[in-house]
Amino acid sequence: MTLHVAASVVEQVRLARDTYRIRLHAPALAAAIRPGQFVMLRLPNTTDPLLGRPFALYDTVLENGEVVGFDVVYLVVGKMTRRLAEIRVGEPLEVVGPLGNGFAPLTGLGHVGLVAGGIGQTPFLAYIRQLLGERGYGGQSPSRAVQRVSIFYGVRTADLAAGVDEFRAAGAEVYLATEDGSLGEKGYVTELLRRHGPVDHLVGCGPEPMLHALMRLADEWRTSCHVSLETPMACGVGICFSCVTRVKTSDGWDYRRVCVDGPVFDAACLAR
Amino acid sequence: MVDLSVRLGRLSLSNPVLVASGTFGYAREMEGLVDFTRLGGIIPKTVTRLPRIGNPPPRTIETASGMLNAIGLDNDGIDYFIQHHLPYLRSLPTVLIANIAGKNEDEFEEMAALLAPQSGIAALELNLSCPNVSGGVDFATSPDVTARVIRRVRAACPFPIIAKLTPNVTDIVPIAQAAADAGADAVSLVNTFVGMAIDWRRRRAILGNKTGGLSGPAIKPLALRLVWRVAQHVKIPIIGVGGIATGEDVMEFLVAGASAVQLGTVNFYDPTASMRVMEALPEYVAQLGATRLSEIIGSLQP
Repeated sequence: MTLHVAASVVEQVRLARDTYRIRLHAPALAAAIRPGQFVMLRLPNTTDPLLGRPFALYDTVLENGEVVGFDVVYLVVGKMTRRLAEIRVGEPLEVVGPLGNGFAPLTGLGHVGLVAGGIGQTPFLAYIRQLLGERGYGGQSPSRAVQRVSIFYGVRTADLAAGVDEFRAAGAEVYLATEDGSLGEKGYVTELLRRHGPVDHLVGCGPEPMLHALMRLADEWRTSCHVSLETPMACGVGICFSCVTRVKTSDGWDYRRVCVDGPVFDAACLAR
Repeated sequence: MVDLSVRLGRLSLSNPVLVASGTFGYAREMEGLVDFTRLGGIIPKTVTRLPRIGNPPPRTIETASGMLNAIGLDNDGIDYFIQHHLPYLRSLPTVLIANIAGKNEDEFEEMAALLAPQSGIAALELNLSCPNVSGGVDFATSPDVTARVIRRVRAACPFPIIAKLTPNVTDIVPIAQAAADAGADAVSLVNTFVGMAIDWRRRRAILGNKTGGLSGPAIKPLALRLVWRVAQHVKIPIIGVGGIATGEDVMEFLVAGASAVQLGTVNFYDPTASMRVMEALPEYVAQLGATRLSEIIGSLQP
């Protein structure tokens, strides 16, 4: 069930350069949302910016064991995120969600590798907690699904890394890469992953070239791989047909909507 | 009690608030968000004779208080529509207006004939005006072709006919007049205005299709003026479309001469807007001292 609510900002915290975590009070939505799903956020009482923008669930917020809200983490890149960074505690945002399919609930796997580039780390905190049985989502009680979760996380430079301590605290092994070598290993995150060696299942989120490199590596290793895609979206609910990606069909390929058929796809289903 | 019902030729609506084709999917996507009983009617996404893959992404880009789209009539064709979308759409507790686009006059006629035996369709809207597909879909730039399509569709099916016209013409009045003369029950004014967005750093058009149709609050004054102009010259009812987002916007279009309206882009950024807009109308109509919404249609003072 998709909800359309006005949610007030509870806090706004700077996590890294141009990167903020915004916390929204929205109990019903937060109780329903699962890792890998997203929400559309919109500023009220303006037509510029006009459309909502999609943001992944960073994590739900608990108070005395009750789900009261959720966090998203965003990088200031354009008109909407610049305005978002100016929003103060107590002000409302319009929220539509939960949206999208979310990450697959894995079971019986040994070691899962999460691969993030740029601001693509944001959907993974909740997923780590779900996979390791730290927290339940969407009304499910927590249960451990895999033995080990590692996150391979690459950014351009050290001061853009956001959430690393939280990933560690959630129980993930963290491997970092920066393009300039200012944090972790120097180079691309997919090169870091290659040096680490195969895991039992891969999940990626980040820029397109990174996802393509990841999917090639998964093919080479014959490892199952899921990717969470980010495409320009106008509505987030499936009515505008903007956010399409090429998906294999019996007779070639067809465009499918990332907002309703994704954002998480099995790499084997994507027509590359 | 204010009576919100309106008549569009052979089509009757319980209230004038429709949702525009291409901005409401196939309605299923909005289940749970929108109470369909409160809508005047639903116009699902344009269906074509054969499946169309649509344009390469990016397909939309936001502009100042608006957006450009070049989806390219991505749809699975009329056979799929009849089998998979129509059963759901006809089950909804509101009026269903199917929207079709042919590549040529034959395809329009063929689709009308395929829909003719189907139950649950209250009217047909002809997309004579999508700006984003090559191959001559811009029928409504010619009064003669517009008239011929409408006559053939009228002969092929029993439904009331609504012609959705393009604003991308020198003068829309002769085209609307041709639609009226050919037997259209109403005209929808207007489809999107062709526009463009450029990433100058990369020296590239942003949309995969390079150009797209501008919609949203940015175009409301343009659409309003065209509705007003056509209303002065053409006798058939007008459905106003273009940037309508509030009850007050609806009132402006009604006073200008529209008998009904379609909400489009607002569905993308405020999925529950149609219900809120409908609920605002009785109070506004009453403020003008009217008891029936139909009293205020075209009531602009000279």
